[in-house]
Amino acid sequence: MDGKRHAASFQQLEKLGEGTYATVFKGRNRQTGELVALKEIHLDSEEGTPSTAIREISLMKELKHENIVALHDVIHTENKLMLVFEYMDGDLKKYMDTQGERGALKPPVIKSFMYQLLKGIDFCHKNRVLHRDLKPQNLLINSKGQLKLGDFGLARAFGIPVNTFSNEVVTLWYRAPDVLLGSRTCFLAGPVSWHYNEDQIIRIFRIMGTPTERTWPGLTQFPEYKTTWQMYATQPLSSILPQIDALGIDLLQRMLQLRPELRISAAEALTHQWFSDLMVGQPGPKQHPQHLQAQQMMHPHGVIKQTVPSQGNYGGY
Amino acid sequence: MAYPAYSTDNTFFVESDETSQRMTMRDAAKMLARNKQEMIANELSRLACDEYLEDIMQHMRHMEDETLPDANLIDMQREIQWFMRPYLIDFLIEAHSAFSLLPETLFLTVNLLDRYCSKRVVYKQHYQLVGCAALLIAAKYGDKKDRVPQINELNNMCCGLYDAGMFTQMEMHVLNTLDWNIGHPTVDFFTQLVVAEERDSREVEHMAAYICEVALYHRDFVSTKPSVMARASLALARAILGKPEVNDGEWDHSDNVTLLTLSQHLHQPSVTLARKYSSQYYSRVSSKLADFLAQQAAIARRGAPPSPPSEPTLSNKATDVYSTPHKGLGAVPGVADGYMTPPITPDGTCFGQNNAMVKDYQAPPRCPVTPTPQSSHAPSYLSRTFRINNSI
Repeated sequence: MDGKRHAASFQQLEKLGEGTYATVFKGRNRQTGELVALKEIHLDSEEGTPSTAIREISLMKELKHENIVALHDVIHTENKLMLVFEYMDGDLKKYMDTQGERGALKPPVIKSFMYQLLKGIDFCHKNRVLHRDLKPQNLLINSKGQLKLGDFGLARAFGIPVNTFSNEVVTLWYRAPDVLLGSRTCFLAGPVSWHYNEDQIIRIFRIMGTPTERTWPGLTQFPEYKTTWQMYATQPLSSILPQIDALGIDLLQRMLQLRPELRISAAEALTHQWFSDLMVGQPGPKQHPQHLQAQQMMHPHGVIKQTVPSQGNYGGY
Repeated sequence: MAYPAYSTDNTFFVESDETSQRMTMRDAAKMLARNKQEMIANELSRLACDEYLEDIMQHMRHMEDETLPDANLIDMQREIQWFMRPYLIDFLIEAHSAFSLLPETLFLTVNLLDRYCSKRVVYKQHYQLVGCAALLIAAKYGDKKDRVPQINELNNMCCGLYDAGMFTQMEMHVLNTLDWNIGHPTVDFFTQLVVAEERDSREVEHMAAYICEVALYHRDFVSTKPSVMARASLALARAILGKPEVNDGEWDHSDNVTLLTLSQHLHQPSVTLARKYSSQYYSRVSSKLADFLAQQAAIARRGAPPSPPSEPTLSNKATDVYSTPHKGLGAVPGVADGYMTPPITPDGTCFGQNNAMVKDYQAPPRCPVTPTPQSSHAPSYLSRTFRINNSI
């Protein structure tokens, strides 16, 4: 891996983003002209290689999948580490901001992205990796309409039974309710699709309804259970997302289950009927439907004609 | 915690982050409730995992093969010798405990160390440094950030033998040498699976962990697959503790060989290791094993079966050791006789080419610190300062 390429093999272009421990630049392979993303990690002489880098690199080397951003190379210079990733035009956050109508994407695009997102997550889980920081900023999008999981800095390999590390997950907004409630057991089917922080638990309840011991046996034994929760009724998701058809709502309902054991897993979700029209004419339902479909879908709609402005600070690598 | 509560152990390790503050009755009740809730959760987690289990196992078997050290290549090292290994393993076990790292971190550390030593020439003055770098990487990979050893702490443990910069340098060298492939499935990944499946007691689990750590000291197990080690150590642990055997259908010849070899290496465990496993937290398994072996030796003396006199034999409970792996057992010589040492390995040569290691290993009193000129005897040991290189 090292030795084959050097930092000088890449022409550094504009900065794409800045994270807590890394800076991401657009880059070009001087030999092939191929665009890449260069994630530069500063090496502290006190602590050595950051744990985030060790996890990220070792896990991403195990995760070669079309819906996971590819790590091409790791280049080590005296005081920094340079990770060479495949280039992606932007992230989902930016994409929604620039292409969506007040953030809302067109239903076929949503379906394509959802499918690709679930494919990426499913692959992670099959390889005993939890991403633990899924959010729009870490879902990278390219001009072909492909979506790939990025930034595995918080990812972790898990054991079976899955055990006790959920509390160190950083991005609160995307924690599953059971994690917010203090459960220390990660559920594979779990942190797929939730968006909240500590106060966010109330936001969740506003939509999904406030759970009770009757609707969720064992609830009152959660460390973070509070008797002072305001009681909310369950909102029908179809009224919040009128543009999504009934099948889509059904899937979403399954993904948003408060109780982790009732929540659908990524593998199961991929077989949901909502995706059946994505798989039409494909040799095997799980082969590679999303590329073709994404392209067919994107271009007629003209959704990703213009590239996402690259000056923003997406740190999705 | 309901599941093998390694990460939140509060009895063995000094550090405690939760329980100490929760002393009131109400909090105690809450803790109980929480444990109960976690038991439910763990059960559900197991169910949820079933869906992914097959895929994960396939990946783990692949990773297991990818990350197996090669003892034959380590044999070719010119400076570092197998007799040095117990000193380094003692040091790593002490350091691992001192930092309260996860159990798998120890196994990962030794795996990284051995893989590095399978690939690079290591000078003996750097052997401990490689061990420290491996520990650092393993902790960063698996442990919480606040548990990861600081370089100056490691440096102190090495008595300032190295420059601080050498740790980060070696860390990067190990990472690059191993091509950043850190995701080795450790023995306890497989142990946890079997334990969950077979519902083994905590005591069996601790005994198996003890046996696995005993194995870390010996060349014979450097290239043993962790999945095999997990099954063999659990079978041996069940037998030692008089627990019923388990037929999981996965047992094969390599499990048998590993189990037999393991049973030959239980007699002189490292003092450091035995002390670690003498705590209540680990169900005092080291004294239980010692008692068991003493009992076996007594039976051997009384019964005087035709076996090498120094070796204790197995009987009653211990025969389970060999009957645990059900079929195909007849092929293993000595099994029916119930000898701890199978006849194929005559007395004295049962440790193969590792005689030097064994001799050194038994030298009393064995404290992991080999005495050094300046920091001699107990105090250096108690202050957790170690100097391996000079002594070797």
